[in-house]
Amino acid sequence: MYLCEGETGKAYQVAELEITPQITRRLEALGVNEGTKIEILNHKRNRGAFIIRVRGTRLAIGRRIADGIAIKEVPEDGK
Amino acid sequence: MENRPITLGFVGNPNCGKTTLFNAFTGANLKVANWPGVTVERVEGETSYRGQKLKLIDLPGIYSLTSYSIEEKVSRRCIMEEDVDVIINVVDASNLERNLYLTMQLLELNKPVILALNMMDIVKDRGMEIDLHRLPELLGHIPVVPVSARKRTGLEVLLHAAVHHYEEGPHGKVITYSRGLEAKIEKIQVVLQARYKDVENPRWTAIKLLEYDEEVSEKYPVDLTSIIDQNYEKQIINEKYDYIEAVIEECLFNQKSKAVKTEKIDRYLTHPVLGVPIFLLIMALVFFLTFTVGDFLKGYFEVALDVLSSGANTLLHSIGVSGWLISLVVDGVIAGVGGILTFLPNIFILFLALAFLEDSGYMARVAYVMNEIMGKVGLSGKAFLPMVLGFGCTVPAVMATRSLESIRDRRRAILITPFMSCSARLPIYVLFADMFFGNYAMLAAYSLYIIGVLVAILIAFIVEKLHPSKNENALLIELPEYKSPNARTIAIYVWEKVKDYLTKAGTIIFIASIVLWFLLNYNIHGVAGDVSLSFGASIGKLLTPLLVPAGLGMWQIAVALICGLSAKEVVVSSFSVLFAINNINSAAGMAELSGLLGQAGFTSLNAYALMIFCLLYSPCVATIGTIKKETNSWKFTLGMVLFQLAVAWVGAVLVYQIGSLFV
Repeated sequence: MYLCEGETGKAYQVAELEITPQITRRLEALGVNEGTKIEILNHKRNRGAFIIRVRGTRLAIGRRIADGIAIKEVPEDGK
Repeated sequence: MENRPITLGFVGNPNCGKTTLFNAFTGANLKVANWPGVTVERVEGETSYRGQKLKLIDLPGIYSLTSYSIEEKVSRRCIMEEDVDVIINVVDASNLERNLYLTMQLLELNKPVILALNMMDIVKDRGMEIDLHRLPELLGHIPVVPVSARKRTGLEVLLHAAVHHYEEGPHGKVITYSRGLEAKIEKIQVVLQARYKDVENPRWTAIKLLEYDEEVSEKYPVDLTSIIDQNYEKQIINEKYDYIEAVIEECLFNQKSKAVKTEKIDRYLTHPVLGVPIFLLIMALVFFLTFTVGDFLKGYFEVALDVLSSGANTLLHSIGVSGWLISLVVDGVIAGVGGILTFLPNIFILFLALAFLEDSGYMARVAYVMNEIMGKVGLSGKAFLPMVLGFGCTVPAVMATRSLESIRDRRRAILITPFMSCSARLPIYVLFADMFFGNYAMLAAYSLYIIGVLVAILIAFIVEKLHPSKNENALLIELPEYKSPNARTIAIYVWEKVKDYLTKAGTIIFIASIVLWFLLNYNIHGVAGDVSLSFGASIGKLLTPLLVPAGLGMWQIAVALICGLSAKEVVVSSFSVLFAINNINSAAGMAELSGLLGQAGFTSLNAYALMIFCLLYSPCVATIGTIKKETNSWKFTLGMVLFQLAVAWVGAVLVYQIGSLFV
């Protein structure tokens, strides 16, 4: 599944970044790389942007980027 | 002791407090705020420690040291080529994990690095603890100094470490990558050193070659086909993060990844439905305060100006100064400059409100909240940040577009930002709305702010239709923690703006008033007995026909608008000088001006057309200069000025012609 299909308040793990190399690099510099644990804090409906918690900070991510972040679920309390 | 200054480069993630620290050391008053990307230019300063001179360089924040964005390239070049002797890596200790990624890259540069652990107070408040003995051990024994840039603690220790560590020189490698990578790094180093004897940092260069780094590959072209078969950038990044996770595991205790308060506030401020209305309400409140509180304070300024004006008149008469000089001082300088000073309270309140907005942490949220609306016109929500800054002053707003990723986005943002009503346009609205709209004055002024935003978005929309871009919607911005605004930060911010305003009054507006006074009192034959025969009138009359369809067909208005290109406040000061009104912002001054204008058939509709024109045409020469500097294109800049004039003319004509049908 992709970040854009995720639910608010749930924790996930990044499986793969399937976007342009340029944006992949920016994401990685911001701490989003393969295996990173994230949690969706907020998102807008109708193809809107997402806010995720990652490595102790928060990122706002536009829809096109969210469409390209493959994620997988992690068990509850999976720290 | 040697006299050559040691150069310290402040490097770190955006919004980790580099500039606050720089200010603390150098006594500078550079702008700081709570959103990523406030600093867009490198700034130098000086200080000394026990007789050793130190040169400090404040750099824009970066997340990484690759060579893919403008800021990163600038910072990397500055560190590598401009002889930064010691890197002061400022990190936000409350966000250590992500901040350490850049640290890992800096450590590979093989230059002395000092870790300044900023925001330790937040770490303590949250009950977290950092093992300050283990952390340096895991980072190659570099000095780790806890500081608080805001509370100014740890500063001496940091300088001591810088001077001491500089003498000691750099330490060796910190991260050892997996065996496969290390083998490749070693092989590349051998090839490199065989080919380029002078390569300064072979390990770093080898790692960059493994990452297919553009700049390094160009500088050191070597054939590596026998060693590497693919780009190892991803693996290198992942291994760096693995190392960081291990460091965090060992050094950070009671880690709380949640910022409880921030997330609670965000539930409302970034709410999917309420986010936009809340933003609009906040902006409405900002302007409400600007008009009401500002107007309340204004009265005192007017009394002072009256006293000054009549005092100067009496004084100059009593010491027998000649008539023309009295006229220059009283009708030119005091009327023009003094009139502008009475708007200071409004300006003060506006910047105070903006300072609160910027220092609270809300700014970055605006990018998120407005992202979808901006997406419809082909821009990311980040492009809205310069627009909000544009409510203050267009010049820094245009510079803030540097944080946008592509040149296309930057130019589009630069194109629309000047339509946001800056503080210099405020006096025009206050004056004309008060004179012609009575009880609805605030509503009239509000409407101009809204029209400015709508025109900006409309123009972005038209540009998008003409040159469609794949809707990138590639917003990516860090949302900082909310914090209660810092008194010192706010004070510096507001004081700098007030100072700018006073400086402008004392320079540009002062000169413009004098020049205008001459233009109005002289003509080719010398002293013009009648103003309507002066230079100024002749120039204005040339343009009057053009302005007739907009309801602005008076030569005085043409002159005021031309003068307004020097700075928008000058439109108001010019009216003072043109109509010889001493205290234009007072009730008496306004009555006098509206009476004079009324005699010429100037009604509230004409006034609105005038405000629309002022809203839309080029803000000032400073903005034009900044646009040239930022786009590096005269063609774009001049095209933009003509475009703004055309938009202003069309806007004012539409208002006047359509309005005439109803009035």
